[in-house]
Amino acid sequence: MRTFSRNVMTAMVVLAASPVLAMAAPGAVALDSSIKLDKAVTVNGQTTHEYVSPQKVVPGNHLLFVTQYRNTSDKPVDHFVVTNPVPSPVALESVGADNFEVSTDGGKTWGKLAQLTVAKPGVAPRAAQSSDVTTVRWVIPVIAPGASGTLQYHAVVR
Amino acid sequence: MKRICNLLAAGAATVGLVGGHSAHAAGTLAGTLIQNTANATFSSGSSTSTIQSNTVTVKVDQLVGVAVTALTSTPVTIGTAPAVLIYQVTNTGNGADSFDLTGAPNVSSNQFNATVQTVAIDTNGNGVYDPGVDTVITNGAASQTLAADASIKVFVLAASPTTATDTQTSQVRLTATSVIGSGTPGTLFAGKGTAGVDAVVGASGGTANALANLIASLANVTLTKSALVADPYGGTNPVPGALVTYTIVAHVVGSGTAGSLTVTDAFPSGTTYQANSLTLGGTALTDAADSDAGTASATGITVALGSVAGGAADKTIAFKVKIN
Repeated sequence: MRTFSRNVMTAMVVLAASPVLAMAAPGAVALDSSIKLDKAVTVNGQTTHEYVSPQKVVPGNHLLFVTQYRNTSDKPVDHFVVTNPVPSPVALESVGADNFEVSTDGGKTWGKLAQLTVAKPGVAPRAAQSSDVTTVRWVIPVIAPGASGTLQYHAVVR
Repeated sequence: MKRICNLLAAGAATVGLVGGHSAHAAGTLAGTLIQNTANATFSSGSSTSTIQSNTVTVKVDQLVGVAVTALTSTPVTIGTAPAVLIYQVTNTGNGADSFDLTGAPNVSSNQFNATVQTVAIDTNGNGVYDPGVDTVITNGAASQTLAADASIKVFVLAASPTTATDTQTSQVRLTATSVIGSGTPGTLFAGKGTAGVDAVVGASGGTANALANLIASLANVTLTKSALVADPYGGTNPVPGALVTYTIVAHVVGSGTAGSLTVTDAFPSGTTYQANSLTLGGTALTDAADSDAGTASATGITVALGSVAGGAADKTIAFKVKIN
């Protein structure tokens, strides 16, 4: 099972091989998006995941969507909410989905994936699956001056 | 600084997707752009702010795939006329591709090997081979371009060898191979995909084939001739003046039909044919060439039996000669 936690930001920086926040957004916080390809290698039943630059991407490939943030100001930043729409050619994967909130209705309602239900017209409500998710969201209560972090979700190309 | 191939750093770019996404069995269409932008809101001090990240873009490449099935599930009969075998070829990749089509009749378990006469695409899509309407291709040449998920029907016309015997079985293989590329799954054909995207060979290896079944439906004819002698003295001695009645029985067996079956027999030397003695199934036939099945000439008789199906009742021909 994958355990690619938020704390492995240094590895992400190495892979990106570039200044982390090349485009500084106006204001106190810089925000950077990137996409990595999950190159899974299975040897003797053990699977290792290497997240590499996506040179070729085809249906069925697993991708990692990454957002990095840094408080570039000298004041703390409060209630930092990052919203990330899941592009329609990919489907969110459930691994690691308990680290963030999700929406299946384009951001109107939010919750943890395990708690959401999906109701379509004429069909009885059912538990939401990761492929139903339209948007993901992280809420970070405080970012100290100079502090940074990495947010990510896994998705598969439909 | 350039970060990663296929990334487009944009300012206030649109969020979501460019290129159109629709549900395809083959997966997201080649050339589709996957774009991701993050938005954030926060407060710092007394002010609140909204910011947006760059938009990162990855283009979906082409995955090459093909599937072939035989549509004629029960064996198709092959006899004096060629058999029409029908296959379906489907583009299982996520982008446009065309496929080389090869009909191969020499399958190792065959009791006989047919010859491939014609390979044709079902151009009007009606599932029936329409000569002059359906496009004939050289065996091994490429089909037209098929979109992702699209399929075509392909006809292979096979002729039976003369050595085949009734109820023998045979198979003909149709192989379809992607023109973009084939080989080990994962092989890259850089820039060879639709609209210049990279193409990767999928799980099928970019090639697929199916076998369709033939069964020989032939007829076998045996002719059995017998003679009955009646001499002028009430006996059966073959003496001058004796009448000989020759009977020829045509016996047809097999699951096929003997077409244009014609029986001929020459009068033995030293005899004289008895005019208008020719009969078929006991019914008299005239010697003259007319609308009935039989004719008699100076040298022999001819009876045209037409098409006789295997297992039909025996045809009995008789005629008389007098020993000179």
